[in-house]
Amino acid sequence: MAEAILSKEIPVLRKWVGTPIKAKEALRLITGGGRFVDDIKIPGMLYAALLRSPYAHAKIKRIDTSKAEKLPGVVAIVTQEDVLKWCKPYPQIVPPPADKLLDYPIAVGKVRFAGEPVAAVAATDRAIAEDACELIEVEYEPLPPVLDAEEALKPDAPLVHEEVGTNLVWHEVFDYGDVDKAFAEADKVISLKLHHHRYGGAPTETHAVVADYDKGTGVLTIYCNNQMPMFCMALIGLSFNFPTDKIRIITPDIGGGFGSKILSYTYMMLISILALKAGRAVKWMEDRREYLAAGTHCNEATFYVEAAVKKDGTILGIKARTLHDVGAYLRYEPVGALLWIQVSSGPYRFKNLRMDVNAVVTNKGPVAPIRGYGRIQHLWMLERTVEQVARQLGLDPVEVKLKNYIRPEEMPYVTPSGATYDSGDYLTALKKALQMIKYEEWKKKQKELWEQGRYIGIGAALFQDSGTNNFAQVRLIYKNNPFSGQSRMAEMWMDEFGRIIVAVGSNPHGQCHETVVSQVVADVFGVTPDDVFVVPGFDSWVHGWTGHSGSYASQFAVSGIGAVLGAAKRLREKIATIAAHMLKAKPEELEFKDGKVWVKGTDRAVAFWQVANLAYRNVLELPEGVEPGLRVIYSWKAPFKLPDLEKKTVNATLTYSYQAHACVVEVDPETGKVKILDYAVVDDCGVPINPAVVEGQVHGSTMNGIAAALFEEYVYSKDGQLLSSTFMDYLFPTTLEIPDIKVDHMITPSPFTELGTKGVGEGSLVPLGAIAGAIEDALSPLGVVITDSHNPPERIYRMIREAQKRK
Amino acid sequence: MLDKYEESKVLAGGQSLVALMKLRLASPKYVVDITRIPGLSYVKEEGGKLLIGALTTHDAVENSPLIRQKCPILSEAASRIGDQQIRNRGTIAGTLCHADPSADVPTAFLALGGEVVAVGPGGERVIRASDFFVDFFTTALNPNEVVREVRVPVLPPKTGSAYVKHARREGDFAIVAVAAIVTLDEYGLCKSASIALGSVGPTPLRAVEVEKALVGKKLTDDVIVAASELADRGISPPSDIHGSAEYRAEMAKVFTKRALRLALSRIGG
Amino acid sequence: MVEKRKIKLKVNGVEMEGEAEPRTLLVHFIRDTLGLTGTHIGCDTGHCGCCTIIMNGVSVKSCMILAYQAEGAEILTVEGLAKDGKLHPIQEAFWENHALQCGYCTPGQIMSTFFLLSRNPKPTEEEIRRGLEGNYCRCTGYVNIVKAVKAAAEKMAKGGS
Repeated sequence: MAEAILSKEIPVLRKWVGTPIKAKEALRLITGGGRFVDDIKIPGMLYAALLRSPYAHAKIKRIDTSKAEKLPGVVAIVTQEDVLKWCKPYPQIVPPPADKLLDYPIAVGKVRFAGEPVAAVAATDRAIAEDACELIEVEYEPLPPVLDAEEALKPDAPLVHEEVGTNLVWHEVFDYGDVDKAFAEADKVISLKLHHHRYGGAPTETHAVVADYDKGTGVLTIYCNNQMPMFCMALIGLSFNFPTDKIRIITPDIGGGFGSKILSYTYMMLISILALKAGRAVKWMEDRREYLAAGTHCNEATFYVEAAVKKDGTILGIKARTLHDVGAYLRYEPVGALLWIQVSSGPYRFKNLRMDVNAVVTNKGPVAPIRGYGRIQHLWMLERTVEQVARQLGLDPVEVKLKNYIRPEEMPYVTPSGATYDSGDYLTALKKALQMIKYEEWKKKQKELWEQGRYIGIGAALFQDSGTNNFAQVRLIYKNNPFSGQSRMAEMWMDEFGRIIVAVGSNPHGQCHETVVSQVVADVFGVTPDDVFVVPGFDSWVHGWTGHSGSYASQFAVSGIGAVLGAAKRLREKIATIAAHMLKAKPEELEFKDGKVWVKGTDRAVAFWQVANLAYRNVLELPEGVEPGLRVIYSWKAPFKLPDLEKKTVNATLTYSYQAHACVVEVDPETGKVKILDYAVVDDCGVPINPAVVEGQVHGSTMNGIAAALFEEYVYSKDGQLLSSTFMDYLFPTTLEIPDIKVDHMITPSPFTELGTKGVGEGSLVPLGAIAGAIEDALSPLGVVITDSHNPPERIYRMIREAQKRK
Repeated sequence: MLDKYEESKVLAGGQSLVALMKLRLASPKYVVDITRIPGLSYVKEEGGKLLIGALTTHDAVENSPLIRQKCPILSEAASRIGDQQIRNRGTIAGTLCHADPSADVPTAFLALGGEVVAVGPGGERVIRASDFFVDFFTTALNPNEVVREVRVPVLPPKTGSAYVKHARREGDFAIVAVAAIVTLDEYGLCKSASIALGSVGPTPLRAVEVEKALVGKKLTDDVIVAASELADRGISPPSDIHGSAEYRAEMAKVFTKRALRLALSRIGG
Repeated sequence: MVEKRKIKLKVNGVEMEGEAEPRTLLVHFIRDTLGLTGTHIGCDTGHCGCCTIIMNGVSVKSCMILAYQAEGAEILTVEGLAKDGKLHPIQEAFWENHALQCGYCTPGQIMSTFFLLSRNPKPTEEEIRRGLEGNYCRCTGYVNIVKAVKAAAEKMAKGGS
């Protein structure tokens, strides 16, 4: 295990970084003291319910709210008329013609997916608001829906957005290396059609908004559980006809996000409009049914892949045509169709890659940056392809992977797309994971088990979790997009009693930021984490933020902590300057220990409060040139560059955590049901600030991946109704479906971050690769090929039956 | 009360009715809460039957020593319902009267040939399981009747029973479920076989052809396998995202076979 | 005018009362009328278990019960577990074993654990998983929750509450 790189600039004690202390925020959460949006009460507050479209595709001919308005308790109703007064359409990030796509917080003129909001009602209680929704009469003219990306590309397909003139909202080809040469030199070309299904984040807390407009000050306060609201301000500011300087955004505790709580700016605006119309605060809490239909799905993708290989299993190059079904609106898309660029060759060293990328709108729920956004689809595709390469060449999939992995000594490694992998030892990780599930023993028994009629298989996969993203990547979608880089802001101050307070512009939802920030700051100041208070939640008037602030894209340990460290150093420097003056020493002679500043090697010290006294109350005793107060702001900026628009390359992400997963499954040949017999993970996220927090993330993302592979899928009917519309049918796994998950760790520090940390929150849903591989391995005597990311019993059952018929 | 308040529904544990009301799939004008009627939660043995009070929870049915010993298939079926919180609240009469063909207890109840005692303004009557389930979510009860007691037989000696369920998650409604009860005679031949299938039609159904293929025979594995092939006779399973009708029909055979093997293995003295 | 009725019940050892309509769910009564917001709502169909409380000694999903049905009942919510500032062993075990991340499902997990251990003080891993089947968690993958329940059982056997 490599030694972690220590920050060279300031002697960091490292007493707390790297220790698995108990999470500070947990104390309020285990006693029922958490404060979530639905816990917020404002005097006179009303409750909202949304009326949603029952049709996947229809014109809105008429909306009559008169009966609903008369219901006692109803105070205000908002429809498309109100929204058009308050909103301009949301800006899009695609080049013409799709930049004309019209998108509002509510359906305007047309509904484009079943579950799209059509009206919003504010009443004295939620039940009355729902009663009122039942009284709103909407006359629809149903239109034929288009529910499949390939269907949507046909010339006679119904148009989801007539104003765009096509359902193909983005198309780009990326050509790296010399793909044609690779294919000319190949011993064999493997072709596959793959489908990555649609599932979601499904946090236990759904979206919620409380909008409170204060007539006196003109301030609109929006309480929400959005995970990156200041990013959303770009869209809100450009769309909402309300002065942005008077919008205050507050996020209290958030009950999970997983990427699905990024695009709720539509609700933030809709409920605000309702509050403005009602003249009172309005609270809206999303139903689970609403969430499943509209609360955002992950990118659904179809891949046509070809791999050029040598017969010894060396991969020369890959070509893929991808169709991303992004649902009825773009919103964050087509970024999800682009983000493969962060992990272009996956963990493999082939240099020749051609990606023909297509983003297509359909009459399904809109997609969002769901956990692993854009990378899991690509990495899953690569893993399926490499395994099929192995099987079709008669080679062992594990051997082919190990052969093609990038070697640790090749790191940092520049991939075909220009994204640079910072560090990692993929071979060791995969081998370790296989050891943990006793791979060799199972391989020996496998033939015998097949002869007994037991279909047991082993799968192993390694996915990277690219973290700290460069927003400039969106210029590869459209060169004019005014976004680039990555940044964070933190504000830190010491009060006059020597207490340290930190406000970071993140919106944590389970990542324990209060704790990890306390650990890092404690090490800088020589105190304990309990001596550092991290302001809970987020308040745009209190916490420093940039347009990149939030909790997303696996990066807090790098970007958020980068800002925190920068602020801590600035504050420490100021304190040291004042303390040096008080102690008549040089700042270099000082050390911070146990809440005091000491002259090294002596017993001369000043307490923090003594320094703070000068700064806050006793300012005439400050040294020359030092301003009163002990409050600093620091903005961290990632060392990125703008993309090369000609070559279409960009260094897209700063750090690369990764996980190697290995599992043993048994497939019941009579039913197609898959049982996981053993599951192991080797995780490497560089230097962990809090190993317990990291391990928790690994467990959670593994469960997410198992859920996606075997249980969760958004299924639509032929007329565009979401059939998996409640937890009865959207199969969130319970304690009985998720096995025990064994985890081991490796540390290859990042050379690009101050503490050697790498972001880890997404975890990349590696089970999608490991389980697909294990099922294919289990059924390999039948020659079954897994081409779907979701494998429910009936699908496997049919594949087995067809394979048996073929024999 | 049910007569007095038109458009009223009986409410006990509420694990089915409240769920429907929340989704606004059922909007009764009134609900009549019977959970406070005393003396309706009991399990006792009388005349070769187990008498179970209408308000006995699934948890109580699952854990009742009497039921476990004398009618274990009912305990087994109850143990597969939902989760602990739902079993703490849901009642045996509630699940029978809700009559969801994918529910666990109705299927076992049909295989057992149980009875309910219904009470109405006109008095009491006994309804047999074979007459009780009429259609999806529809029983033979009149709108002004309430079930006060459920009766199931004490299983005779040389009987083995099993309730097996094929579901995506453990506590889900079944893709297909089978309740099998077999009794052997003194020669070891099958004296009686009662097999009910769940989630194969608008009500749980007896697999009559399977039963006929077992009675009078020695229950070797070949006999069981052959008989199970008849499990798809007379069924009209639904198609949904968890299983097509064809898949359910095939699974009916697979799980009939598994239920019979399990039931047979459990035959004691 | 919609009928409203006053209902009286004992919550966390304290007699409380409040108004409710016939269709008010117990979870809304607890959260909005009694102001105990530790019990949460996560779904519409009684699956997720975020609303789990103890009612008359057994764990129930408070979103599946009408408030009127709780008249005269004895209810325990997560707010009622710690005594005089001292955490219940189950709360301690959850904290020490990092059995929560976002914390939204946690009160429900803790109350289901309370019921499980009240009936079965030494559960096996399988019994623990079965006991918590009705409590969804998206963050932890359940691994640390199972660990926490085992740890809580040990604490309570040694002489917790």
